[in-house]
Order: sequence, then structure tokens, then C-alpha cells
Amino acid sequence: MHETFLQKRLRDVAAVLVVGMFMFPLFWWALTSFKPTSAIFNKDEIVWFNFKPTLVNYAVTMLGKSRAELAIDSGNTFGVGGASSYDSRQTIIDSLIIAVGATALTLLLAVVAAYALSRMRFRWRQAYLNWILSQRFMPPIAIIVPVVFMFHYLSLLDTRLGLIIVDTLINLPIAVLLMKSFYDDVPVDVDEAAMIDGATRLQIFWRVVLPMVKGGVAATAVLCFIFSWTEFLMSLFLTNSIRTLPVRITTFVTSTGSEWGFIAALGTTAVIPSFIFILLVQKQLVRGLTLGSLKE
Amino acid sequence: MVSQQVPSLAVDVPVSGTERRRVWPRFLTSEHPFPWLAPITALILAFGVYPLLYALWLTFFKRNPVTRLNVFNPTWNWGKLFADERVWGAIGHTYLYTISALLIELGLGLAIALLLDSDRRGYGLLRALMTLPLVVPPAVTGMMFLLMLDGSFGVLSTGLVSLGLWSPQHPILASSGSALAGVLLADIWQWTPFMVLIMLAGLRALPKEPFEAAAIDGATASQAFFRLTLPMLSRIIALAVLIRGVDLFRIYDYVKVMTDSGPGTSTETLTSYAGTIYFKNADFPYASTISLFTLLLVIVTSSIFIKLFKVRF
Repeated sequence: MHETFLQKRLRDVAAVLVVGMFMFPLFWWALTSFKPTSAIFNKDEIVWFNFKPTLVNYAVTMLGKSRAELAIDSGNTFGVGGASSYDSRQTIIDSLIIAVGATALTLLLAVVAAYALSRMRFRWRQAYLNWILSQRFMPPIAIIVPVVFMFHYLSLLDTRLGLIIVDTLINLPIAVLLMKSFYDDVPVDVDEAAMIDGATRLQIFWRVVLPMVKGGVAATAVLCFIFSWTEFLMSLFLTNSIRTLPVRITTFVTSTGSEWGFIAALGTTAVIPSFIFILLVQKQLVRGLTLGSLKE
Repeated sequence: MVSQQVPSLAVDVPVSGTERRRVWPRFLTSEHPFPWLAPITALILAFGVYPLLYALWLTFFKRNPVTRLNVFNPTWNWGKLFADERVWGAIGHTYLYTISALLIELGLGLAIALLLDSDRRGYGLLRALMTLPLVVPPAVTGMMFLLMLDGSFGVLSTGLVSLGLWSPQHPILASSGSALAGVLLADIWQWTPFMVLIMLAGLRALPKEPFEAAAIDGATASQAFFRLTLPMLSRIIALAVLIRGVDLFRIYDYVKVMTDSGPGTSTETLTSYAGTIYFKNADFPYASTISLFTLLLVIVTSSIFIKLFKVRF
């Protein structure tokens, strides 16, 4: 089924068009973040570049410029009201702490557990693996009410540690499955050779096998980071003063008007770290998302 | 300890000294999986299993809205659930949303995967770009489409209106007939790339020989697709549908951000209804009941699916 020249060109055009269509919302979103408020609400300036680009939106959300400074900068006070502060530096710091913390905790638990599940033979191994995976099927909403109560008693409500724990819980099943499939790719001969040489399980794990799955650990870490970074429901229920980015961004929509410029600026910022990470580990991530199901 | 002989093999290996090995606690050197699995098990039991049982226990209590006390009444919430019309509406929306999203995302995903499955220059970049929507936080995607679908200045709405495809009197997200479709649009944009990724991985793993044989026998491209590609992909398609379906069933982010279950209750799903009961009524036992009912539906539906399509992990 070889393609003719014309078929090839048609395919190229179609492929670029389709990917372009999927990129358009992102492009337009980023564009909006550079628009002054007046241009966002002007139909004629919705898509094209006939507006004067401004960094005001970023100055407010990232540098904590005040409303007064903003009004002077843009010469426009449209939509004043609603949330009193738009400074989101603390939100970004909190989101980073939570995402990095959850990623670290997940890796700590999953990297160790997946090694045992890949290498040791015990009776309830498959059942145990299924049990871990079944956690992925549970809607977070099913446990949220008791978790709120528990966190209240444990003083974990509205804390970064609390969110780190629930994000870890959400990440664990995929992390274990992913790490297990990376370990399974390392031949057992490697372990046996080290064992004959007198190494203990812990030594084999730490000095021999773990260095061989470094790439897999990186991919798992990226996936965990993205999951925690984008998590919404748990953050909404469990926090009040500490806000992660996805929750924070929704607070800019108020009954008196939505600050779309700020929302777009913060939204664009929210997307950047994940973009960089995913482009770095693209190949392993495809493996991760297909859950190793391609192997027979 | 002193009498213990070190096997001669161990002398010349890079295990840093037999001295250290001797002081380790015994369980660290044994073959038992317990120490490896204990931490993760403890975390899941404490913050996953225990809350689930607690939620179940909570459903047996009736909340008094005045005294704010919970009174033991094991059938109250479940009776209320089955008599609650909003629950049935939410179930309808949830299934409608899940099934239409699955069909559209799967169809589009497969088509785009076939389109991008080429080794020619530039296609690697296109495939990489295609994955980007996946990492946008769903809440941000919701906001993005909320702005684009805005009746008076949204780029998609104004585009549709100026093409004569949509009436400006009915803002997409503010009309009960189209709001769910608007939410679905955000979902499709975000998750079609997931299907593309999985299908691409599946397509790339296909053996070449059957296709060469078919080409020699004079099979057309569509014959090859329906007789070879699709059957060989069936297993991974079933798995993708299962994973995506479970996620879709608990849809929350887009609904909460874009329509907050409205207008009226036209985009209310099971998860968003539970959220409403929790935040607005503070009726925690009933919110738990709806949540557990959602879990029950997920389990039943996915079990039927697994049996029907013989999904293996």
C-alpha cells in the first residue's frame, strides 16, 4: 500500500491541519494573556493581532502589581471588583511544593514496592498488584468526605502535607504499574549474577537494578508531577487558604466579571512546566500511558 | 558470628565489605517482600481503604439539618437516593457524556493516529505537539473553553455565529440543550490526544508481514484496515476505552469550572451533584451515599465491559 506523491502531500496537509486545530486553543489562550482587557472584550480584536500587546496581566499575577498600578499601566479599569488580590506568586510556590513533594513521596514508595513485585515470587503477588491497581478505579469523590474528617482530626486540612498525601495516593497505582514494567525489562539474570557474587537484595536493588531503570524513574516522576500539578477535585475540597494553581485560577471568575487577562496569564504559566517535562521524556511517557500493555 | 565463613566467591566482588552486611537487620537481607511493600500498603490502607469504609458507615446516618447531628438510620440515605430525581438526571448525563466522549475520542483518536503514523520528516514533531493538550490542567482547559465559548466575545461562539451555524440568542454554555456538548468539546480537545498516543503505540507495534502478504494478494487499503489493523488493535482499544471510561465517569473539573452543573441541572453529573450536596447543603452522609453509588456504578459498568470485551491487563 504505497502512497503516491499526491497522497503523500494530501496526508501532509491533513496532518498539519489537524495538529494545527488542536494547537489553536493553546495559541489563542497564550495570545489572550498578552491582551489588554479592552481587547479581550472586543469582538474585532478576538483573534487577530490588531491589539497592542501588554505584559500587564503577567505583572499582576506574577509580580504582584497592585490594581492602582495596573489601572495606570493600562489606562483601563474595566471589571474592577471581585477578588481583591490577583497576585499568584504564593500559589505557584505552593503548587510546586505540593507537586514535587507528591512526586518524591510517590517515587519513594512505588520504586521500592514495584521492585519486589517484579522480582520476588510470593503467593499473593498478582492479587496484591490487582489491589493496588484497583485503587486507580476509585473515584476520588468516593473517599473525599471521610478524608476531610480525617484531615480535620489530624490537622492536615488546608496544609501542603495533606495534599501531598492525597496526590501520592492518586499517583501510586500508575507509578507502581509503570515502575514494574520498567523492572520487568531488566533481565533477571542481572539479579542472579549479582546474587551469586554475594550481594544482598538491597544491594542488588540499589546498586545494580535501580541505576538501570533511571530513565523509567524519570518518566514516572514526570507523570506524577503532571498529575499532581493538574489535580483539581482534592485541592478544592481539602484546602482553603492554600490554593493550587488549578483551583486558584477559578477564583478569578466572579459574579461581577471575570478577569480573563489574568486567568489567561496564570493559565499559560500553569502549562509551561508540564510542556517542558513532557517534551523531555516523550518516548518513555508513551510507554507509560499505554501501561506496558503492548508487551505480550 | 566470627565462625561464619564468607563464601570464597564473595571475596573478590564489589560488595563493599562483608562487615556492613552483618550489622543489617535480618528482614532487610531476607527474600520476604514485606519490608518492600509495607510502606505503600500502610498509606493505601490509611488514606484509601479506611476512608472508603468510613464513607460506607456514614451512609447509614441521617443528618438533621437543624441540629447538625447525624442519627443512625441505615436506610434513610439510600431510600432518598433512589427517590431523588436529580440523581436519575445525573446518571443520564453521566452515561450520555461518557459514552459520547468515548465514541468521539476513540474515532477521532484512531483516525488521527493513522494520519500521523508515518516515518517521514516532520511527523515526529507533529506527534509530539499532539500530546501537549494532555498536560494542560483540566481546570485550565475548562477556563480556556469557557472563554472561547462565551456568547458575546468567545472566539468559537462568534466564529460559529458568523458562519451562520449557531444563533446568537442561545449562548452555547448557557443553554440547557447545548451546555453538555460545550463541556464535551473541552473533554474531546484534552483527551483525544490520549487516544492518539495509545493508538499510535499500538499501530507501531503491529507486525509488518501480514500487511505485506495482503498487499501481494491485492488487498485495498480499507480492506487491510478492517481485516487486519482493527482486529489486531482490538485488545489495546478495549483497554483504552476502559481506562478512559472510568475517568470520564467521574467527570468533575470541566463541569465545575464551565457550567457549575447548570444551567438548571442540565449538566449535572453524579460527581458534581455529590459536590453540590457537600458544599451547599453540608449533608455529608448523603454526599457520601451519592459518591459510593457512583463507585458502585463504575464497578458494575466496568465489570460488564471487562467480561464483554475480554479485557486483560
